[in-house]
Amino acid sequence: MSGVKSLWAWALLTPPLAVALIFFVVPLLYLFHVSLHAASPSEIYGSALTLANYTSILSDSFYLGIIRRTLGTAAAILGLCLVIGYPVAYFVALLPPRRRMIVLLLLLFPLMVSNVVRAYGWVAILGRRGVINAGLRDLGVIDVPLDLLYSTEAVVVGLMTILLPYMVISIANTLSALDPRYEEAAQALGAGPVRTFVHVTLPLSTPGVASGMLLVFLLTLSAYVTITLLGGPRSKLLVSMVYDSVVGFQWPRAAALAFILLALALALTGVILAVLRPNRIQGSGR
Amino acid sequence: MSETDVRLDKVRKSFGAVVAVNDVTLDIERGTIFSLLGPSGCGKTTTLRLIAGFEQPSAGEVYIRGRRVTAIAPYRRDFSMVFQSYALFPHLDVAENVAFGLRMRRVPRGERGAAVKEALELVKLGALADRYPRQLSGGQQQRVALARAIVVKPAVLLLDEPLGALDKMLREEMQVELRELQQRLGITAVFVTHDQEEALTLSDRVAVMRSGVIEQIGAPREIYDQPRSEFVAGFLGASNFLDGHVVSREGGIALVDTAGGRVRVVAESTPVGAKVRLAVRPERVRMSGPDGEGLSAQVRSIVYRGSVTHYYMDSTGGPLLAYAQNAAAGDWAIGDGVRCAWDVESGVLVAPERA
Repeated sequence: MSGVKSLWAWALLTPPLAVALIFFVVPLLYLFHVSLHAASPSEIYGSALTLANYTSILSDSFYLGIIRRTLGTAAAILGLCLVIGYPVAYFVALLPPRRRMIVLLLLLFPLMVSNVVRAYGWVAILGRRGVINAGLRDLGVIDVPLDLLYSTEAVVVGLMTILLPYMVISIANTLSALDPRYEEAAQALGAGPVRTFVHVTLPLSTPGVASGMLLVFLLTLSAYVTITLLGGPRSKLLVSMVYDSVVGFQWPRAAALAFILLALALALTGVILAVLRPNRIQGSGR
Repeated sequence: MSETDVRLDKVRKSFGAVVAVNDVTLDIERGTIFSLLGPSGCGKTTTLRLIAGFEQPSAGEVYIRGRRVTAIAPYRRDFSMVFQSYALFPHLDVAENVAFGLRMRRVPRGERGAAVKEALELVKLGALADRYPRQLSGGQQQRVALARAIVVKPAVLLLDEPLGALDKMLREEMQVELRELQQRLGITAVFVTHDQEEALTLSDRVAVMRSGVIEQIGAPREIYDQPRSEFVAGFLGASNFLDGHVVSREGGIALVDTAGGRVRVVAESTPVGAKVRLAVRPERVRMSGPDGEGLSAQVRSIVYRGSVTHYYMDSTGGPLLAYAQNAAAGDWAIGDGVRCAWDVESGVLVAPERA
């Protein structure tokens, strides 16, 4: 009986597994293979096996600075999304189902606009002749335009506004699915609104917080357009380095940078999950 | 003198046009279990939530230990509650769940530990203090919920169908345990249930509710033996109903003429000529042979239930049901002509259903 069942399971699983293997795992392994070779002027990679791509990146203060900036930018975006997103999600979750649906759709609406368009929107706002500088000059606050664009701050603001809906929707879904009996039980035991939130609602919403943080963090690491258009040449992140290396035909270095990015993503995913431990709430039954 | 721990004074709760609780007035004495019994939608859970403060009354006042709490937030009221779903905090282990109310009441850590241990011993879960709720069975979760509620020594313990999710065997076991625990600790409790047997087993007093109104309040035996309405008689178990009119009354005993014959019933004030409905519990019906006394009837079907046998009979006054103890049972067969009689005080005049 179970043999037949597992046979069926394998039959159903084989096609997607095959697709994942051929189009994801194999290229990834190939990429890793590339990253372990020296550069070559004529081929994609040279013949000599070497760890030099990794060691040279990890001992180069320029690259270490980029890694630090990447993590700092991601942390700033995460923090802002959490601080702004949680209260929004909390009030969205309090809405009756129909209105909650409408508000969530409104939150999704900006995502229907291309990131390129949105980034140019920020250019129009933050640029030297942008809305903010023009306004401040007209008001006589400044004489010389401020350098708002092409900075880490511009990248943070630009990406944060794109990624905020992911955080809000993720947390709001968890909060609205929360059994109101938990909060009532806390009140029945003498917890006021603040302590009910701190001791019950907040810990029970960690699955939503964790998935929101993972989405925002991983999308930050892989964002490119916004970083390039708003960060300019001075505020490059790891992903820009990968692109620059590819454009410069430094395939082995690009591969090594991609793996360092992947390692960072995995490590920080682990940290987020270890700190929030969302699984202690999931699968709890009642 | 006994003291009143909970008092509802003409409490009404409307949701839009629907009146869920309609001018309910009741007093609950210290150290007793008070049950709110009724079918789903009768307003019993809303009444409980009004005591807790999770619902605000549209009119009337709520008192806990003599203090008016109508406008007071739930967390400032002196009560605790066991929910049907238990609502144990999944991110806290058993000991932390039980300690929650003590923490919120700012009981020092040292005292907390001892109190939690004692409460867990009371519900026989001392060994499971460091488990998480998801690692417990339904019955164990129920006990944790109970321990969490009693450890804070509330003025009143509210129980919202707390045994509803358990299977029958476990439920009966927990009824007895709950009763023992309540009596040992002298807790005042309000118990919501739709299970009449549970209400009769557990309670000192029972309020039978329907459509937001309390139909009758009394001790279990009182509401079972002396139901005032057909609804109460029917909801608390099977009952035979006979229609008739009073032909004479003497010394508190009325003679009622029914379609199947004349029966005598206790009636203090029912006037002669009044149309009445008589209720008789099936276990009070005595069956005898065709030459015995009482209403004549014919056995239609027989259900053997182990300790008792149920006889379904037809009579000219309508169907009759009798429960006979098997130790003393006469052996009747389907189609037998029999006579059915009962003691005068076993029949009760009830208010008929509003048609």
